[in-house]
Amino acid sequence: MAIARNIVNIAVAAAEKEGAKRITKVNVVAGELRGIVPAQLTFYFGLMAENTVASGAYLDLEITSVMGKCKDCGEIFVVKDYCYICPKCQSEDIQILSGTELRVKEIDVE
Amino acid sequence: MKINVMTDILEANDRIAADNADVFNKHRNLVLNLMSSPGAGKTTLLEKTAEALKGKLRLGVITGDIETSRDAERLQKYKLPVVQLTTGSACHLDANMINYALSHIDLKKIDILIIENVGNLVCPAGFKLGEDYKIMMLSVTEGDEKPLKYPQMFRESSLLLINKIDLLKYTNFSLKEAKANVRKVNSKMDIIDISCTTGDGIPDWISWLNQHYQKKFGTKARA
Repeated sequence: MAIARNIVNIAVAAAEKEGAKRITKVNVVAGELRGIVPAQLTFYFGLMAENTVASGAYLDLEITSVMGKCKDCGEIFVVKDYCYICPKCQSEDIQILSGTELRVKEIDVE
Repeated sequence: MKINVMTDILEANDRIAADNADVFNKHRNLVLNLMSSPGAGKTTLLEKTAEALKGKLRLGVITGDIETSRDAERLQKYKLPVVQLTTGSACHLDANMINYALSHIDLKKIDILIIENVGNLVCPAGFKLGEDYKIMMLSVTEGDEKPLKYPQMFRESSLLLINKIDLLKYTNFSLKEAKANVRKVNSKMDIIDISCTTGDGIPDWISWLNQHYQKKFGTKARA
């Protein structure tokens, strides 16, 4: 809910800065590690957007996968099922490259 | 028309968390964010910790409870600096709530500040509070597959306390399985087996606290 509220606040602030009257779409990028549940976030987003310029806007949620880099052999791979083990050399020393991001990328306004 | 925004959704929280961390460092506080599911034994751990640290390092507590002040009442008899945050419907503490709590607690009188988060294995992981370490508590009545079900929390924490080991014989919880699952998501996590009822493992937890306090501030206690 706090995340939904922040999304609405960020989108509304950006729209107001440009003098837009209505937001039709909000594009959010969320890394898989953030554990966002799309249906739930969409529901709360709709609720939080009521009585703002974002009321009725479509939430376009882009979930990005987790990319890891092996600190031992340098292999870059997609981390599946939270298994932080290098597929090439089985090392457990993995640096996370992406998958924790959570941001409002762009909005469509009228 | 499209507007490029690129604003981090948790940026405001992270900024306040960094401010909180500055305040803690200034007051020489080692700050721990204690997280678990409801009923794992966080408040009992705080009681045991208060007893064990008495006369050594000074403990302070910020506790988050959804509706009641039960947790704070239980800690009153130890005469600790305690702030109770009633979060209402919020399922986690955020940096702003901690910032508010700071004006209600005398940080000069605290060496180790434990922030007892709301019992929840999902939401608290995303919100930094300004802590030095995140600590997780898992009780053996919850199941040894929890690290795989809630990997984000386990990934971000430095220490796992496996509590209620005195009940192991009544459950199908396997310590070996639980630890193997932890290793899959976080190979560097420290793990201590404890029982807040029998006191098993509590000395290991206390020495973890001492070690990390010394690691941050060098000396054993402040002059």
